[in-house]
Amino acid sequence: MKRLTPWIVGLLFLIPTGLLVYKSQVLNLSLLPQKVDDVWNFYVSVKPKDAAATSVAFPIPRAGDGLKISEERIRGKGFDTLIDRNSDSAMLTWLSKEPMTKRVSYTARIDITPVIIRKIDKDYTTTYPRQIKKYLKPPVLTPEEEAAVKLLEGAIFEGGEDKSLVARKAFYYVHEEIQRNVKYKTIVDALSTGKGSPLIKARLYAYLLRRKQVPARIVAMLRLPLITDAPEEKHQLTYASEAFLNNRWIAVDTNRGHFGERPDRYLVMHHHFEEIEKTIAKNKVVYTIRADRAVMNKFNKEEYRKDVLRKGSFFSFISLYRLPLPVQNIFNMILLIPLGALVLCLARNIVGIPTFGMFTPILLTMFFRETSLSFGLFFFLSVVAIGCLERYVLDKLYLLAVPRMSIILTLVILLLMVIAFTGLAEFFGASHIGYFPIVIVTAFIERFSIMLTEDGVVNTMKTLLGTLVISILSYSLYSVSTLEILMFTNPEMLFYVMGLLVLIGKYKGYRLSEFIRFRDLIAQVKKKGAM
Amino acid sequence: MREFGILGINNRIGRYILRHNKRANYPLVDDKVKTALRADAWGVPMPENYFVISSFGDLKKLPQLVSNMHSFVIKPANGSQGNGIVVVSDVLKDEKGWISFRRSSGKIIGMEEVRHHISGILSGLYSLSGLPDTAIIQQKIDMHPVFNDYCYGGIPDVRVIVHAGFPVMSMVRLPTRDSDGKANLHQGAIGAGINLKDGTTRNAVIKNQVVEKHPDTGHLLNGLVIPHWQEVLELAARCYDMVELGYLGVDIVLTPDHGPILLELNARPGLAIQIANQAGLVPRLKKITQDAPPGLTAKERVALSQSWF
Repeated sequence: MKRLTPWIVGLLFLIPTGLLVYKSQVLNLSLLPQKVDDVWNFYVSVKPKDAAATSVAFPIPRAGDGLKISEERIRGKGFDTLIDRNSDSAMLTWLSKEPMTKRVSYTARIDITPVIIRKIDKDYTTTYPRQIKKYLKPPVLTPEEEAAVKLLEGAIFEGGEDKSLVARKAFYYVHEEIQRNVKYKTIVDALSTGKGSPLIKARLYAYLLRRKQVPARIVAMLRLPLITDAPEEKHQLTYASEAFLNNRWIAVDTNRGHFGERPDRYLVMHHHFEEIEKTIAKNKVVYTIRADRAVMNKFNKEEYRKDVLRKGSFFSFISLYRLPLPVQNIFNMILLIPLGALVLCLARNIVGIPTFGMFTPILLTMFFRETSLSFGLFFFLSVVAIGCLERYVLDKLYLLAVPRMSIILTLVILLLMVIAFTGLAEFFGASHIGYFPIVIVTAFIERFSIMLTEDGVVNTMKTLLGTLVISILSYSLYSVSTLEILMFTNPEMLFYVMGLLVLIGKYKGYRLSEFIRFRDLIAQVKKKGAM
Repeated sequence: MREFGILGINNRIGRYILRHNKRANYPLVDDKVKTALRADAWGVPMPENYFVISSFGDLKKLPQLVSNMHSFVIKPANGSQGNGIVVVSDVLKDEKGWISFRRSSGKIIGMEEVRHHISGILSGLYSLSGLPDTAIIQQKIDMHPVFNDYCYGGIPDVRVIVHAGFPVMSMVRLPTRDSDGKANLHQGAIGAGINLKDGTTRNAVIKNQVVEKHPDTGHLLNGLVIPHWQEVLELAARCYDMVELGYLGVDIVLTPDHGPILLELNARPGLAIQIANQAGLVPRLKKITQDAPPGLTAKERVALSQSWF
């Protein structure tokens, strides 16, 4: 008997380890699907401001460094369209025989990867190819501006810097000394107040470089929303710069502080804003730009599925990837349940946190996942309130137990209706509610109200808190998407969980809570021993 | 804690309850109706069960059944920790024949409330498993006069932990105002550890705190001698033979006329007894595992325990 446990635990750990090693070493499968970049649905619609105009032009993203474009679609019935891709950028022109009255549009799928150039060598280039020369064109400045810029140059440059250093020094100055503020739109304003709009900062940067014979240009781009951002209807253009160093364009952003780097949040619309400034000016054209995430999940499960099936081994048969998608989604979620159980066991048997029933915390965690944490908490606490109601109000009516519970259930349905009418679920970011609430209520309320009667409010609240703490802990564990995909890809890891569960089950030491429970006893026994 | 030999929950379950208590024997202690039947067969004294209510239909007969009684106790057959117990000390009748009840706390309750309470028991509100249960209407035990100054509200009971038939540790649980007259340590009753050798209390606690005097009566708690102590221990030891559970909590009450009688048995006795006794269970349990000779009678086991602990 004594030998049995180590054997079983050993086996439970060996099986998955063997499978994982076999998968990765022999079959050459990675343990996780490859990550995919975010893919965006990009949309722009334009209309000329002038009702009599017969053409309109607008920049569109151009495939190149860090940018892949697919599924391009141009809309505009009866229009001739023309795409000019001669420079680093692309311009799309719609032409018509009659005045344009409707909006025309362009859509595409765009995959952006960040562009990073870490090593920027010293640059002493003196001559540039012809197509670059236009980026050296010195700015036309008013005498006032000229004076201000000269003063600045005297302050930041020592003379004798190589061109990379010029670009860097100018970057530090514009990034750090000029605060972003859309109200200040001229160079003199920016230099005298230390505040400037993104465009004026980009402009100033380009001017400073060109005056030092460094080719530079202003980039018009779009900042894409983060997952956490509130969805925006329209996107505004923002501006950054590029400097031509060591025979290539280096991304510089004096507004957000990037030198040699463009994160994948930024979608370049045009690399030479000055060229199109007039074309897309507000008095020429009305435009709307939208971009939303096309692919949210970070792992390319589809590719992995093909990979697994291609291997044709035993694993292709037992892989969850061969199941139909809806079944896959179910497993995606329920494979995490044993992990929740593990957390629960740790909390209950090692730490000694009290909970309602055995699996209420797990149910609660699943509920949080189905809806959202804030909504889940809100709903759960509402149910607690209903539980108190039953304890203090319904108790007076001397109802039989089953009808009483059924009344509670009905009250919960009413609560769900209130939630639906008031839009509370959306307020808390929960998409749909489903049948989970009812399961939770049945699992929880009865125990809750009995405990309230028998063990008093304090103990009940402790247990309530314990239940919530464990649920939130497992919820945060469930939110690790890598863990989810890891379990889904390698379900044999469940054996690890079982191994750990056997170990916890064998634990005969003290629970952490017992150190508190017997603290006074120990103190008293010690005191007696000393006397 | 290990050096003081304190028994923790995991250890209690893993090493003692799971190893020594056969699951099949649990109903004998969990279901008080079954315990009573077994006790009857073994000649172990228990409070008399007047009748059992096992269905909602039986509730109709309730007024008729209780009308001639003076006092009784309503208990769930599968209850735990004294939950769901109602003690009726007086059955009152007015001129019209309406019956009402005086609880031991002095509160008067009506037939409707009693019925509701019993139906709660039947639905399983108080049962260990939450499954439907039966209610027992039982003889109300009177308090032994020795406890007069030590109790508030209800009656006290003596808990003896019995391991493999050997009494290991014992305490008396004294109700307080806080515990609502219940002999339940969780709810604030006093737990007073008892010296196995002579049946004298030697230390008392409320929850985790040492107390010298009863908070309600002001009486000194140490030095109380439990009457019929030898009988108490022998009764406890015999319960092992009766239900064959190797790790058992035996709850005994002392009656004024009949000496100690068995109140109930517990297959998962709590650990607070260690706090009441200011001593750990582990060394005593180990001593029994190592040194206890098999095949002794209850009397011999008690004698051995008393010489050891």
